[in-house]
Amino acid sequence: MLVRATRPALNAGAVAAVRPILIPTASYATLREIEGRLKSIRNIEKITKTMKIVASTKLTRAQRAMTESRSYGQTSNTVFENAETKADTEDGAKKTLIVVCSSDKGLCGGIHSGLTKKTRRMMESIPNADLVVLGEKSKAQLSRSSGKHIKLSFAGVGKDVPTFADAQAIADQISLLPEDYGDIQILYNRFINATSYEATPIEAFSEEAIKNSPNFAAFEIDDEALSNLREYALANSLFWALAEGHACEQSARRNAMDNASKNAGDMISKFSILYNRTRQAVITGELVEIITGAAASEG
Amino acid sequence: MAFAWKEAGLTYNRYLAVAARAVRRSLKEGPRVHAERRGEMELRFAKWNNGKQGESKSLATENAAAMAEGAEKSS
Repeated sequence: MLVRATRPALNAGAVAAVRPILIPTASYATLREIEGRLKSIRNIEKITKTMKIVASTKLTRAQRAMTESRSYGQTSNTVFENAETKADTEDGAKKTLIVVCSSDKGLCGGIHSGLTKKTRRMMESIPNADLVVLGEKSKAQLSRSSGKHIKLSFAGVGKDVPTFADAQAIADQISLLPEDYGDIQILYNRFINATSYEATPIEAFSEEAIKNSPNFAAFEIDDEALSNLREYALANSLFWALAEGHACEQSARRNAMDNASKNAGDMISKFSILYNRTRQAVITGELVEIITGAAASEG
Repeated sequence: MAFAWKEAGLTYNRYLAVAARAVRRSLKEGPRVHAERRGEMELRFAKWNNGKQGESKSLATENAAAMAEGAEKSS
């Protein structure tokens, strides 16, 4: 057998020259081992490539949903901009609620941990804030650091493009929370371009904040309608945040899988060179053995 | 209260969701199937208490239950 004939010394030299970091115990990398490793890397590359294609197709849909949802969020925010609404947190009597819009699935780079980090930073400045977490990934991360602040967590987010029904149901459950929050911050990943996104908060205001805003009288709305407006604005902002977060996640996953496939390709080319070198070394070794044997028997 | 849905214990979002569902159901067969997909909601949620996650429940049934409770209180 070729493999058994491999002389350890020769083999070790070849391996150490090509890839010293990958195989620390270099002396035992036989041909068959390298072959097996190559095969598994090829399989992984296939998987990551498929995931990339899936993410790419989902991305176009997600981006369309994102641009559509933006008009919801921005239209409802125009009202508050014109009214110059400010969050009523100055007195410090009322708590702040942070809603973190992540999702259930991983394998998409650092977008979940980006949100988590931003949340932790916000918690430092507002230490008594409560949390509502959408999605399993950030929930797992946040439950370790600030589990006591979490009031609600939602699962099943991000399976598909988020619907307005999702946002409404979440908004309802948030408004059912016993505490009356002075300020609600919705934290989501803002889509800057295909490769970059930023954890950004959008504000949703409480009823008093809307009522106290300086230019609100211009709208001539009954006070009774305010609670409706508040609930609806919360749903709008949530929908916007969910859709944009979803688009970011898909694009991040596409990038992550693209990188993974590229790395797998690199590893494959390195390993095939290593494989061929080792094979040649084995053949040379055998030739040397045969020739010396022949020379010895002649002499 | 001036609003019928408030008297019935619904939130404005719930009222909107019900109205939207009614509109979707009254569409023609082709567009209806497409539109109803936009109304789906399969989230689950859990209430947290003192750093411990509570039981995971379906959001739709739980919301409906909360609304029903609200209706009993207001009537």
